[in-house]
Order: sequence, then C-alpha cells, then structure tokens
Amino acid sequence: MKALERILSDFAAAADPAPARLAAAQALRTHALPTRREENWRYANLRALEAVHSFLPAPPQAASPALPTALPAALPGFSRLVFVDGRHCPEFSLPDAALLASLRGGKPRSNDDTVPSAQSAGDGRLGLIAKMFAPEPVTLHVPGRLALELVSIATGAAGGNYLELEVQLASNAQLDLVERHLGSAGPKGLSCLQLDLHLAAHSQLTHTRLLQGGPDALHYDTVAVRVAAEGYYNLRQVAAGGQTTRSTTEVRLGGRDARVQIRALATAHGPQVCDALFTVLHEAPGTRSDQLFRGIASDRAHVACSADVQVASGAPGARVLQSLRGLIDGAGAEVDLRPRLTINTDEVQAAHGATTGRLDEDLLFYLLSRGLSPSEARSLLKWAFLAEALNAIDMPALRRDAGLAAAARLADTPATELLQ
Amino acid sequence: MSAPLLQIDSLSASAGGTPLLHGVSLSVNAGEVHAIMGPNGSGKSTLAHVLAGRPGYLITGGTVRFDGADLLALPPEERARAGLFLGFQYPVEIPGVSNAYLLKAALNARRRQRGEPEIDAFDFLNLVRERMRTMHIDDALLTRGVNEGFSGGEKKRNEILQMLVMEPRLALLDETDSGLDIDALKIVGHGINSLRAPERAVVVITHYQRLLDYVVPDQVHVLARGRIVRSGNRSLALELEQRGYDWLLEAATAGA
Repeated sequence: MKALERILSDFAAAADPAPARLAAAQALRTHALPTRREENWRYANLRALEAVHSFLPAPPQAASPALPTALPAALPGFSRLVFVDGRHCPEFSLPDAALLASLRGGKPRSNDDTVPSAQSAGDGRLGLIAKMFAPEPVTLHVPGRLALELVSIATGAAGGNYLELEVQLASNAQLDLVERHLGSAGPKGLSCLQLDLHLAAHSQLTHTRLLQGGPDALHYDTVAVRVAAEGYYNLRQVAAGGQTTRSTTEVRLGGRDARVQIRALATAHGPQVCDALFTVLHEAPGTRSDQLFRGIASDRAHVACSADVQVASGAPGARVLQSLRGLIDGAGAEVDLRPRLTINTDEVQAAHGATTGRLDEDLLFYLLSRGLSPSEARSLLKWAFLAEALNAIDMPALRRDAGLAAAARLADTPATELLQ
Repeated sequence: MSAPLLQIDSLSASAGGTPLLHGVSLSVNAGEVHAIMGPNGSGKSTLAHVLAGRPGYLITGGTVRFDGADLLALPPEERARAGLFLGFQYPVEIPGVSNAYLLKAALNARRRQRGEPEIDAFDFLNLVRERMRTMHIDDALLTRGVNEGFSGGEKKRNEILQMLVMEPRLALLDETDSGLDIDALKIVGHGINSLRAPERAVVVITHYQRLLDYVVPDQVHVLARGRIVRSGNRSLALELEQRGYDWLLEAATAGA
C-alpha cells in the first residue's frame, strides 16, 4: 500500500471526528502527497515515507527518567514548553505568566476552523499530516512581549511525532520563539510539524529553529507565515539532524513595508538528505526580503535549497536580497541550490547569487602554511563558511548549541573558542 | 662554521608541465638577510611557494635542506612548525575565523613542535598586543575575520604580525612591499628588522630596492627565467634600480 493510502487508512482507524482533522484528511486525499516530479520537491527524500511502519501518533509515554538530562539548559528569560511525541509534558515545562496568558488567549479550535490554508493545496501538503494527527495542537495569542522556547522530543517509539502550533501576534507584539527539535538515537521515527504564524501590523517575531533529530529520524516540517504591514519576521534555522530533513517555509508579506530576514544553514553527512524550500511572496508595496543559506554536504550526503521569491504586481518598491552558497566536502556529496526570482512589477531592487563548490585550496594552503594540521584547517574553513548564517543567532548560548550541532553533524569538532 | 640554515642545491620545479625553476642554488646562513629580485615571471614567487610546500608544483630535481632536514620531504604544515614562514604576496581573507584565533593556533602549533606547552590566554594577549604595537595595528583587528575587509596595507602588516608572533627561523617574504605607501613601508621594514636575530634568517622577495633602504640585506640575488643569474651585495640592488633587468636577462640568455 502506498504511503498516502496508509496515512488515510491509519487516520480512519484513529476515528477522530474533529472537523479540522477531517478537513485536513480530505485536503490530503484531494491533493495527494507531493512527488519528486514536482519542481519544489525534486530533491526531497519522499521515499522515506514509504518505509514508515505506522502513521498513527506514538502512544503516550511514561516520563523517561533520562528525559531531564536530555533537555538543554534553559535559556535565561525564556519560558519553556516541552513536548514528547507531540504531547505536552507539564512536568518539564517552565511556563511564566506571559505564556499562560498567551495560551489562554489563543483562539480555540472550533468547527469554523475547518479549511486548511491555501498552502495546503501546494507545498504545504505534508503539514496536513500534522494537522490530521497532532494529539495536542497549540494556539498562542501574543498580545505583548513573550520569550518562549519550545522543545519537541521524538522518542522514536512506534508511531509518529506530530506537532501543530499556531501563533497569533497582536499589533506591536514581540515574540522571541526558539524551537528545538531533538530526537533519540533509536529506530527511525517520523516527525511532522505544521506551524502557522500570523504577524499583525508592527509586530515582530524572531524565530530560531534548531532541527536536531536523531541520526535515523525523518523530519518534515511546514511553516506558513503571514506578515501584516510593517511586521518583521526574522528566521534563523539550523538543520543539523535526522536522516531526512525537509523544511517547507512560506512567508507571505501581505502588508505594506512588511519584512522578512532568513538566515539558514544545513549540514549533512553520510547518507543523510537535507532539503529546504523557502518561498517569499511580496504582495504589498515596500516589502523587503533578505535570504541567506549556507549548506555543507560531506561524505555522500545531499543538501538542497530552493529559494523562491515572487514579487506581485501590487508590490512596487520591493527589495529582494538572496544569497545561497553550498560546500561539497566529499567525493559522493551533492549540493543543489536553486534561486528563483519572479518579478511582476517595475521599481524593484533585487540582488541574488548562488554558488556551489569545494573548499578553496588557496585558503587551505594559507592555514597549512601557518602550521595548522590539514584536518584542523579543513574544519576551520567549514566553520568560516557557516559563520555568516550562524552568527545571526544573537544569543551566545543558542549560537553555541547550534554550532556544536552543525559541527557534530559533519563529524567535526570545531574549536569551542570559535563559538563565543 | 655551522651549516647554512637553508641550503638549496640545483632545485628545479614545474607546474602543469611547464618548467619554472631551472637548477636554483642558494645558501642562507642564520643571522642573514637575503634579497631576491627579478622581473615579473622570473620564478621568485614560485621559489617561495615551492619552499613553503604549496601543492601543484612538481619537483623535478635538486635538494633543499632546512636546519639540516630534508625540507621537500615535509608537508607544508610541518615546514611551518619547523620554523619556515611564508609571507604571502596576496594574503587571503577568511571571514568567520578571527585573527586572534588564527594567531593563537599558529603560535601553539610552533610551540608544540618545540615541545613547549600551549600559551595561556593572558600571555597570548600580552604577546600579541606588544607585536601589534610594533606593527601599528589596532586592537580591534584582533577580533575581525582574518584579513576580512582589510586594506592592502593592513593585509601586509598583518602578515608581518603573524611572522612576529610565530617567531620563525626563516621568513620568506613574497613581495611584502607591494602596494604599500611610504609610511606602511617603514612600519613593515621596522617589523622585519625587529625579527632579525643571530638564530634567524630572512629572505625578502621584491621587485624594487626601496624596501632594502629599511631592511638592509647581506646578499642580493637576481632570479631570471628560473635561475639565479647574479649575486652580490647591497650595491647590486642599487645597480638594478638604475639599469633595470635587461642587461642581466641578456647575460642569462647567453649563458643558458
């Protein structure tokens, strides 16, 4: 049986009649799973879905005694929500008053909430799986300032880890959202996430995502962002985990002078596949987007990034920056970068570039001539390659965690002094 | 008399099938400063890079002994750790790796080779700041990426700073004077002179004799068409300044 049929079959067996879930299932049945014949999915590892044993959510786990030690140190000033296989673990969460208020203020899912977003018919189809199965969807309404760390742990138990999060930022609200996706080193586990982020006028969201699934994990996430007038969405994404990682991000700049900045990096080693799609839609005048991606594929890994920017006819004065760079560090490694820019209006400033190559021999020799060993020199140059994306993470502790994760993924050990 | 610090005998090398060095012989004693001059394309930079171990060159003949060891048998990093320093004509930029990190890593590589412990952070900063003052380099450059956004002069001064921190036995300076204004030239000259010591040697590669006003050489050699065609004292550099290289090229052709 094909993956789509098994997903729908498992959903039917789950017998959950919630309208939103049924609508998601109907949308998936209508639009089907993406295939590699589709342009935006050419490099995604969708075959891995066929090997998933069961798409049902993993059953609730008794709290593992090892869990607290697996949790990263709490970030100063942040409240924390911990999910294990998609279920909230209050015993490990650190809610503060602002978070509790935001949770209470979230619009409850209702029977009206049955129509999946327009993205669901397109590149957001994998997010429908999360909408179908997420055991505890979360909705947050942020009226003021909030700093929240969301930790999602996939145990690799039979069944999937599904998470659905909707965040509504009120006008002038500010949210610092850190997502950490961690995984056990156990058997293959499927993680599927759907994030819907709504930024009202003048609101600001700094969103740091560390994707650190276990070495055999399958991670598919869908992030849909809507930014109203003068809103600012600031994404830092580090993909450094899982056997297969596919991130699909769509940012819709729907209000005048709305902005997005994306700093993303991906590292992969061995047979791992890491694929990302960033779509930015400029739909209003004066909107700005700035995308930077750095990816390293070592050994025989595959890293891919598609960055698609579309400037609508109603978005004069838009400014677009796009820089994609890939580093191939292995005889069997592959990096595919695809910048795309579609402009349907005059008066647009756009600059974009994409390059893929191997470590620069001149730089390597320079470091060797200073007495560094070949392995140290190569490690340092890889580090330098990632630095521009990594340094966009402001918090030193988080930057350090992200750097160590990226380096570990390359079977590399950077000097910790570089992480300061 | 002790053996030369650097002894090159009949060194020949090629790149991509093209012969570039044709039997170069040169002897440099500890405590000496040598200048290698010559026109464009004569093989000066090739010689420096071959000695430093840059990949891409094929040694087709000859030997090089450095401090008694077979230099050509060592990979580039071991040549550096043994005390050979190459100052690049075109120093590369490495954003993301700070100057401080590279300086410390390079110094510790040297120290490990000498059987010394790695330098601690406090002593390192003291040492580097003192050397930076010598080179008139601002402290802020320490935290910036290696040569990132540096002017041409800053890059050259940074090369000399690295040399002063690493304290090599032999410094090969490949056109360190190119692109420097007169003030920077004085600073670079002062930096090179501050390294001079009885146990060390410096080989300065240059087109012009103006650097030699500040760094007075013990010997001057002219490299042309891949071979040393003339050696002499400092007056040879002054003669070249007046007469150019053509007369030596003609002599080299006649003698080839």
